[in-house]
Amino acid sequence: MSISVEEQSAPKSQAELLYEAQLRKERRFRVNVAITWGILLLILVLLFSGPIKIDGEFVRKNMLYIAGGLWQTVLISVLSIMLAIALALLAALGRLSNIPPVYALSTFYVSLIRGTPLYLQIFFFFLALPQLGIQLSGLASGVFALGLNYGAYMSEIFRAGLASVSKGQREAAMALGMTPGQTMKRVILPQALRFAIPPVGNEFIAMTKDSALVSATGFVHELMWRATKVGRAQFHNLEALIMAAIFYWIMTLILTFIQNKIEARLAKGDR
Amino acid sequence: MAPIISISKLDKYFGRLHVLKNVSLEVPEKQVVCLIGRSGSGKSTLLRCINFLEEPSYGVVEVDGIAVQSGEKSKAHHQLIHAVRLKTGMVFQEFNLFPHMSVLENVIEGPITVKGMNKDQAIALAERNLEHVGLLFKKDEYPLRLSGGQKQRVAIARALTMEPRVMLFDEPTSALDPELIGEVLTVMKKVADEGMTMLVVTHEMGFAHDVADRVIVMAEGELIEDGKPDAIFNHPKDPRTKALVERRPLST
Ligand SMILES: Nc1ncnc2c1ncn2[C@@H]1O[C@H](COP(=O)(O)OP(=O)(O)OP(=O)(O)O)[C@@H](O)[C@H]1O
Ligand SMILES: [Mg+2]
Repeated sequence: MSISVEEQSAPKSQAELLYEAQLRKERRFRVNVAITWGILLLILVLLFSGPIKIDGEFVRKNMLYIAGGLWQTVLISVLSIMLAIALALLAALGRLSNIPPVYALSTFYVSLIRGTPLYLQIFFFFLALPQLGIQLSGLASGVFALGLNYGAYMSEIFRAGLASVSKGQREAAMALGMTPGQTMKRVILPQALRFAIPPVGNEFIAMTKDSALVSATGFVHELMWRATKVGRAQFHNLEALIMAAIFYWIMTLILTFIQNKIEARLAKGDR
Repeated sequence: MAPIISISKLDKYFGRLHVLKNVSLEVPEKQVVCLIGRSGSGKSTLLRCINFLEEPSYGVVEVDGIAVQSGEKSKAHHQLIHAVRLKTGMVFQEFNLFPHMSVLENVIEGPITVKGMNKDQAIALAERNLEHVGLLFKKDEYPLRLSGGQKQRVAIARALTMEPRVMLFDEPTSALDPELIGEVLTVMKKVADEGMTMLVVTHEMGFAHDVADRVIVMAEGELIEDGKPDAIFNHPKDPRTKALVERRPLST
């Protein structure tokens, strides 16, 4: 190892040297990971420009059409996550209730939804309900199914959020004379929701991809539906699906980036 | 003059555990009472039965003329409990400040949400009380950034801002580093000097000796000795009191 003049003139402590070595090691790790990512990406690109024949003309022609599905994908996801958050919160509060029917309703809902496939639930809303005289649009079916499904899974997040607020908080609020409702609204929920933000973000990212299942109804022109439509029609499923995959992936990367920013902000924990 | 706190024949069970045994106690206005006793003797439970954080199993709690008979579930019962809570402020061992609110927001929360006070009025009152505990300059900080002693002083200001008739303290200095205990006891003494009725569960024998008008010793859910600090500390009658005051020398 070569030692520079500056370093010799100001000898460093053992701890400092160890710390620097640690930092170098971490940096080297990150650099190597980035390089490997680059290589993998390159292989993927090369694969599709060489041995696997891609029809560039088809890609150019249909790119914008498929990208047009992004809007629908985002719309379904946003509507569904809002429904899911509301249901999850209600289900989590229901779990804390000591009124038997409320508690039962909450556990029943979670059990039923978690016990059946999401795919089936989407079809149930779209295909089974008309038999009962209820005709929902593809979008509405998708939003109801995704919202209900994610709501059941996310109730666990809110349950953990509510449990993360210490008993002392409730007692302090009660001692001030707050009603149970005020205690929940002013003291417990704000802290529980804050706790829930990062995991809800993760669920939202997962949902943008599960929204592809809604294409099965055939009436929601989101990413997946558009990709399969043009792919099948012109027998270019390979290109179409690769394009859709890239759009999903980019969307996920952007959302993950935003999510990390929010999480870092929350982790600073000035509150 | 009628006592401001009057507890009669209070019993409290946790499951099969008999924690308070037929406890009766009267506290006249402006008296500062220290409750001492070994761990598990029921001090916190007694305190928490006064503002109904614990519902007594049997007995009557009366605060400033509002008598609450235990063992009911009616709406009127809850309204009485609410009325009692408005008359009592409580300070906890673990401070229990609201972490998502600034110091000032913590202090104005009660008056605004519970009493429906307008915000300007609440802020004026809160700032006066923060000044009083020496923490007005921290009003925009969040609790996470305060020392334990500062947190507890804010908690005292928060309770005082509800303008209670009685203050309950449950081991307010037990979670503090030794060097921070003094600042909290100083504030408590100030509150006592202004004529607040106080019921203080504490292990700070120095505070009990110097500030309390009256010291009550608890053991196994009963009040075993009750008297002036001098009598309790210098001439204890019950051997359990003797053990208690000998084990903990006066700190001041
Ligand atoms: N919520 C509860 N459920 C069951 N048992 C409890 C509960 N709270 C307190 N106890 C029990 O009641 C007894 C009295 O407890 P309490 O907290 O009143 O004692 P304490 O005198 O305040 O003790 P410490 O000095 O340790 O705070 C103890 O045996 C305790 O374990
Ligand atoms: Mg206690």
